[in-house]
Amino acid sequence: MNSSLFIEISSYQEHKYTESCFGDAVLSKKLPEEQRIISVLSDGLGSGVKANILSSMTTRMAMKFIESDLDLVRSAGIMMQALPICQIRKISYATFSIVDAILDGKTRIYEMDNPQCIIVRDAKQLNVSHHEITADNWKDRIINVYQFVAQEEDRIIIMSDGVTQAGLGNPKYPLGWQREGVWTFIENQVRRKPHISASALAEAIVHEALTKEPEEKAGDDISCTVIYFRKPRKLLLLSGPPFDEEKDKEVAELLDYYDGKTAICGGTTANIIERELCLKCEIDKTTFDPNIPMASVMPGIDLVTEGILTLTDVYRMLKEGIDEDKDNAAVRLTRLLLDSDKIDFVIGTKINEAHQDPNLPMELDIRRNIVKKIFRLLQSKFLKEISVKYV
Amino acid sequence: MEKIEVKICAGTACFVMGAPQIQALEFSAPEDIADRIEIVEVRCMNHCNKGSGYNKGPFVEVNGELIEEATMEKVVAKIRELIAKEDEENC
Ligand code: FES
Repeated sequence: MNSSLFIEISSYQEHKYTESCFGDAVLSKKLPEEQRIISVLSDGLGSGVKANILSSMTTRMAMKFIESDLDLVRSAGIMMQALPICQIRKISYATFSIVDAILDGKTRIYEMDNPQCIIVRDAKQLNVSHHEITADNWKDRIINVYQFVAQEEDRIIIMSDGVTQAGLGNPKYPLGWQREGVWTFIENQVRRKPHISASALAEAIVHEALTKEPEEKAGDDISCTVIYFRKPRKLLLLSGPPFDEEKDKEVAELLDYYDGKTAICGGTTANIIERELCLKCEIDKTTFDPNIPMASVMPGIDLVTEGILTLTDVYRMLKEGIDEDKDNAAVRLTRLLLDSDKIDFVIGTKINEAHQDPNLPMELDIRRNIVKKIFRLLQSKFLKEISVKYV
Repeated sequence: MEKIEVKICAGTACFVMGAPQIQALEFSAPEDIADRIEIVEVRCMNHCNKGSGYNKGPFVEVNGELIEEATMEKVVAKIRELIAKEDEENC
């Protein structure tokens, strides 16, 4: 996407405490060619596996229909017909909220039986009028349709009723948290932290909902997706010496003139930049960890780490979750990656002879392989925009 | 009195060969040497890249003297040796 605006989407979920899987489903997708994002959140009837099937089917069907620009009334009809019928309740049922946003263009929200979405602009709720439509064969199911042009710093919050009804059964919240309560919380958050990321906000909302629940255990599936329109946060990650030494200068300048954050992964790479840009680089002992080499500080560069071991650990954390209790170089790099929207990798392809030594106690993957794994994951799981350049 | 400079390589090859065990000097140096040394962590010093064909890391330099296949014991012994020499000279 080459627009000046960027859309960050993030979801957070908690499942009903008696179940082991989510009854709600969330699904988001970016269509870079159309500068468009689609995000779906669905709540399946009941909880557990059965609900999961209903909601997963709904999100997938909705995604397909919206993506192919199919008529919504027809799509909704087809979806409801396609869902399996619950043996006990004799109905098939799942709710949905769909956000279909085109950068610098229209944003549409379709909502059926989920709590009303919250649209935030300038720390206030934006009132967008909506109209109602019904599917031909399901007259009692009403779909609300909103349409507006999103601006920089707008946010859209969609959620399952597990959020608004959090606290039911707790004498302190006889009617549950309610949409008003949720809004007050969001308002507070965005006033205190005007640039709070979509992921942090979604997580905060679900955690807050949990605190309302009796014994802080989720009595229902609680899901929330936040869509945040903002300036992209860019990161340049440089790793590995260029194949051709003559390129050293060029690469160093790339770093010097970059209009975003910068990181260097690799000792030799850091040495090159240190030499080319005449900077001083020192090891940062606060990042000591017996398993990960320490980071260094270099003026003007946001993070300097060792190469292959750190990257390998970054990959592990992207897959399994970040080591919250640590502050080593790999954790810092993972955070930096996750906090960025557009990441430009510049990968040097010179092979490090020392790493090819069969006497080394562990196998050191070639940089290119591990970087490839990292950026694929960043793309597919975290919806980051990635560019890779080999030098 | 000038401190003895202990340069520990924090590069990848040295790291996997066992440099972290020596980095522990920073926090848990034996009492007799703790005040006499200054630990400097450095990035790859390029010793791993040259020469003999097999890796002799981790590499540590104590006052410029290279220690190959360094261990905590080897490094501490070297430091004690230098301290003894210095003390003798100062007598
Ligand atoms: S990694 Fe230690 S000298 Fe190269």
